[in-house]
Amino acid sequence: MTALLELRSVSRYFGGVKANQDVTFSVEPGIVLGLIGPNGAGKTTLFNCITGFYPPSKGDIFFEGARINGLSPDQVCKLGMARTWQKVRPLAKLTVLENTVVGGLCRTRSVPEAREIALQQLRVVGLEKRADVLAGGLPIGERKKLELARVLATQPRMVLLDEVMGGLNARESEEIIQLILDVKRRGLTQVVIEHDMKAIVRTCDRIVVLNSGEMLAEGAPQQVVNDPRVMAAYLGDSGGMKA
Amino acid sequence: MKRTFVISVVAAALLALVPLFIQSPYALHIFILFFIVVALGESWNILGGFAGQYSVGHSAWYGIGAYGAFILLQQKNVAPWFGVWVGVAVAVIVALAVGWITFRLRGPYFVLASIAVAEIIRLLALNWKDLTNGAEGILASDLPPLKLGGTMITDWNSKTPYFYMGLLMAVFCIAVNYVVKGSKLGYYLQAIREDQDAAHSLGIPLTLYKNAALGISAACTALAGSFAAFYVGFIEPQGVFGIDVSIQMVLTCIIGGIGTVSGPIFGALVLVVLTEMLRASLAQAHLLVYGVLVVVVILVMPEGIVGFASQRLRRRKAAAA
Repeated sequence: MTALLELRSVSRYFGGVKANQDVTFSVEPGIVLGLIGPNGAGKTTLFNCITGFYPPSKGDIFFEGARINGLSPDQVCKLGMARTWQKVRPLAKLTVLENTVVGGLCRTRSVPEAREIALQQLRVVGLEKRADVLAGGLPIGERKKLELARVLATQPRMVLLDEVMGGLNARESEEIIQLILDVKRRGLTQVVIEHDMKAIVRTCDRIVVLNSGEMLAEGAPQQVVNDPRVMAAYLGDSGGMKA
Repeated sequence: MKRTFVISVVAAALLALVPLFIQSPYALHIFILFFIVVALGESWNILGGFAGQYSVGHSAWYGIGAYGAFILLQQKNVAPWFGVWVGVAVAVIVALAVGWITFRLRGPYFVLASIAVAEIIRLLALNWKDLTNGAEGILASDLPPLKLGGTMITDWNSKTPYFYMGLLMAVFCIAVNYVVKGSKLGYYLQAIREDQDAAHSLGIPLTLYKNAALGISAACTALAGSFAAFYVGFIEPQGVFGIDVSIQMVLTCIIGGIGTVSGPIFGALVLVVLTEMLRASLAQAHLLVYGVLVVVVILVMPEGIVGFASQRLRRRKAAAA
């Protein structure tokens, strides 16, 4: 099976800081890949490289076999790869529905058509009753869901989720886990950055561990979680791993 | 949506009847000023209100429209209703060239760049004397009468034809805002205003859409600007390219409600009517009161009149529910 997304020794430097160093992995269609690592490991930087916000300093990124480094974020989105933001970015003065319509317009010129797509995705994440609320007034749990609905409305083949469970309570996290599994069932490929190890183990088919910008380990969830090097990286940094 | 449309059509129709009942040139003059300020506010609103790109250099497009039509009339004897379109075209071309460069800048840097561009064009108009007659400006010679086929429509000898042209211009600019807001362009511009990075990640080519907004905005501004210039009958660089022209457009929207279709109408109402009233009673001191008023509006109603009203309405609805 050919990879949907492939990274070949991707590096990103900020001056002398090596935010990412020789990151190489690939994501097969239909899987959920977990990207984990202690704070500052370079997970979000890698997302920014993949989605065109920071072009990689070295290395290549391929999406469906085509090299995409150097493309702008909107071009990457048009190709079918959409990302959410760790720090949510609602379009505050637009309603929940309008936010999602913006996503829907990625594949159509027609606003009514985009509305249909948007309503459908709002139902998927369970925000259809909040459609007319201003996005700026949503509590954090619903903001995270809105990010997801908006991204799904762009009708991507692959989504990159940057800590969609961050800051959520147990019930809300559970809803997001179900959503990720639901999206997976619909055949979408996902790369998720997450800190909650239970959620990672339940949702991911494979895990890539980053530490100080470099790949530390890669493999099946259980295997990675029990890897002593991974343990050390986490224990040395944030005082213990919840697994 | 439908109701606002009916109300707008009725309001425009009622306004169209005004010259039948009011002949006072001063009253008609106030109406014409109001239409011009509405048209200019709506023009700015497309870029500043929807896309959130706070240009304080829109006098550039205003002046290019005005100079384009004036120069063609003066030097080539081209009637204004043809010359205007040349002015509009030049404004759009220059605007897109400028936008291509300045839209790399964000926030306050874009504001500064927009001011700088208008200043450059003002200095150009001041010094390119063969074309613009420099600081002496251009006085519009007698306007040729407007004819359609063989019948004469107007000879421009009273305020009434200007009244209807102004009304038409204002309605046109409002309609453009209305159409833009409901279209893909409108959604994309508002997304850019709210969060550029989020918009970019949702597949929106930022510079392309900002330039689209700037192009439409500049075209409308040039159109309204050349009309305003012909109404006054005289242009000189400071008068059309000066920063006051730009600031008035921004203020119209800030007071009325940035990013709303009806906002500039209310903003223009406050600005025109109030300035006239104050000018009559306070003479030069009116500027002082005017300044205080703007500060008060911004403090009490940061979202403008329309934003304030709709916020109240939403709260009342929420309380009732």
